[in-house]
Amino acid sequence: MGHLLAIDTSSGTSVAVLKDGVAFAEIEIADTRSHTESIGDAIKDALDQAGLKPQRITAVAVGRGPAPFTGLRVGIAAAVMFAEGTGAKLFGLVSLDAIARQELLSRDLAPGDSLPANRPLLVTSDARRSELYWALYSGLDRHGVPVCIEGPAVNRPADIAEQLGARGIEAATTSLTISALAIGQLFEAQAAGGNLSHDVTALYLRNPDAVEPKNLRDFGKKVSG
Amino acid sequence: MSDWTIRPATEQDLEAIMAIEHECFPEDAWSQDNMHYELIAHHTEYFVAVRDQAVIGYAGLSKVASSDQGDVQTIAVLPSARGLGLGRALMDALLTAAKRLHAREIFLEVRADNPVAQSLYLALGFEHIDTRKNYYQPAGVDAWIMRLTLPKRSIGREPVVLGIESTCDETGVGIVRGTTLLANIISSSMDEHARFGGVVPEIAARAHLEALKPTLDRALAEANLSLEEIDAIAVANGPGLGGAVMVGVAAAKALSVATGKPIYAVNHLVGHVGVDILERGQVETPTVALLVSGGHTSLLLVRDLLDDVELLGETIDDAAGEAFDKVARVLGLKYPGGPEIDRAAAGGDPNAIRFPRGLTQAKDMDKHRYDFSFSGLKTAVARWVEVAETKAAVGEGAELNVADVAASFREAVADVLVSKAVKACLDHSVPRLLLGGGVVANARLRELATERCAAAGIELRIPALSLCTDNGAMIATLGAQLVMAGRKPSSLAFGADSTLPVTTVQTP
Repeated sequence: MGHLLAIDTSSGTSVAVLKDGVAFAEIEIADTRSHTESIGDAIKDALDQAGLKPQRITAVAVGRGPAPFTGLRVGIAAAVMFAEGTGAKLFGLVSLDAIARQELLSRDLAPGDSLPANRPLLVTSDARRSELYWALYSGLDRHGVPVCIEGPAVNRPADIAEQLGARGIEAATTSLTISALAIGQLFEAQAAGGNLSHDVTALYLRNPDAVEPKNLRDFGKKVSG
Repeated sequence: MSDWTIRPATEQDLEAIMAIEHECFPEDAWSQDNMHYELIAHHTEYFVAVRDQAVIGYAGLSKVASSDQGDVQTIAVLPSARGLGLGRALMDALLTAAKRLHAREIFLEVRADNPVAQSLYLALGFEHIDTRKNYYQPAGVDAWIMRLTLPKRSIGREPVVLGIESTCDETGVGIVRGTTLLANIISSSMDEHARFGGVVPEIAARAHLEALKPTLDRALAEANLSLEEIDAIAVANGPGLGGAVMVGVAAAKALSVATGKPIYAVNHLVGHVGVDILERGQVETPTVALLVSGGHTSLLLVRDLLDDVELLGETIDDAAGEAFDKVARVLGLKYPGGPEIDRAAAGGDPNAIRFPRGLTQAKDMDKHRYDFSFSGLKTAVARWVEVAETKAAVGEGAELNVADVAASFREAVADVLVSKAVKACLDHSVPRLLLGGGVVANARLRELATERCAAAGIELRIPALSLCTDNGAMIATLGAQLVMAGRKPSSLAFGADSTLPVTTVQTP
């Protein structure tokens, strides 16, 4: 396996270059409103830091979210086109899965270990509009890939708590946020288990903010009202 | 410091040039007509050396756009001004122009009995490749043919540029070689917006993300090129829907980094003007441009495509295309409204109802001489329809005549658009009008523009419809112009600017 370029823009702009799970370069731009401005230089700087020409990248792994729309698309569009431009293979990963793996490893869970059934890991990220993206994980499979038992979904924090509470679940939580490095490491684990996906569809989990007018003539009626 | 300068020649220099021509070449001077043509022709570049506002030397280059060879047409310096380095400076100006125009080889002829000139050309890198016997008549002097080979600047004769467009609901990828169209692929999300009666920005942005790669692949296939054969990437970074523009910009940047090709961030609206190059080889300037689409209604004065574009006016509320969509809704017609209203208006009386023409009254002429407003018009149509239907319902009037309403509305829009565009041409003494944008598809707009431009002696340009609607080819075309003009690529740091002003043709 050659070098991997990992990209995630579900929060800030995060780009990493890895080989066999080891980071060669990491660029983190926390600002959640400058993905478009940052993405080109972030990729270029990561390659420069790793001392690699673009053609040395043989795989691109991108976080598919879930995440607010605009920023998420920037990372996916960039990943698609970087792969197009270099001939690298393109893979999509769920950003919340990458956080889950990091958290579970930090809790000294070994591959193949599970959490107690009523104490799964709840991973959340900011979905704006007072909502959270979330998913529940029961542990790690034997390759170290987190096992998602529910989600990803988007709800209000109170609704998530109520839903879990009603089922007697006392979920563990994490304060970790997403990084491209975590995406790259999850990629290695998934590759070992042979369950990588080429699907890079954005996980929006919300429909576009558009209300279909019941009567397309509504506009005309309103003016005299 | 020298007390002379070199500048591009203009028609006004003709007389002074002819005086030097006769002094330097008494036996075989060009005629004034020939020299005049040389000065004004599009394939030539002439320069003059000036001292105390007097022309003391000149030189000219000929370079046809479709060829990679250039010719030094002539060079002359007044005997009294020789030995000052003018010849060298004039040659430098010609060679700079030749490089800018992507010439690979420059040819010239020089008298075999003129060692001073020969040594200058040799010093500049020209080689003596041939001799023509008895070339200069009547003296019967031989000519040396000399050639300078310039280093290769790009693949092929002209740069191959890929253009990405994603400012509204069309994902466009176009490829041009210089001024020649190689591919123009458009993927539209129009159908997805239909049930909402207008473009939904989030739906458009999502569609771009899905469509970009397949659209790019199709464009490359159509042009029969691989990405390695592309010399530069151009992308529209605004104006437009922010979220939509971002997708194209992010894609273009990653493609640029991955392939190592330079990136050019170009203005979408100026792209609409530049697209005329694909049909005519150039945009004749100055020109007024009327750009009308679902997102824009803008009147531009273009004195120079790359350096001098001025916004004369724009809509202060709805775009014209939006007005068509909304009125179509009122009339129970489908989205997009333009073609539907065109169809419904056939057979209708355009003078049946006198709908208001926004911002055309005397009081508007100060602040909004070239601005547009369609909000009042669409409200007037809605009110008119409502009143007519209410009357018909209580038996006081006839059924709503959709054809008359559609024709009268369409007439009001076309009338305002064309009136203001023609006024802008006349006010600025510009004899040309260029139309662009999707609303150009409207039959009545084209008809009215044709009539009124003919009456006012204005030349009207309407590019093919596939080039009028949003497309990647226009972005590639403008990018290629920047490359050929020797402009520096944009940095990777530019953003998507939904309100990018037309004065910013390229974002650095």
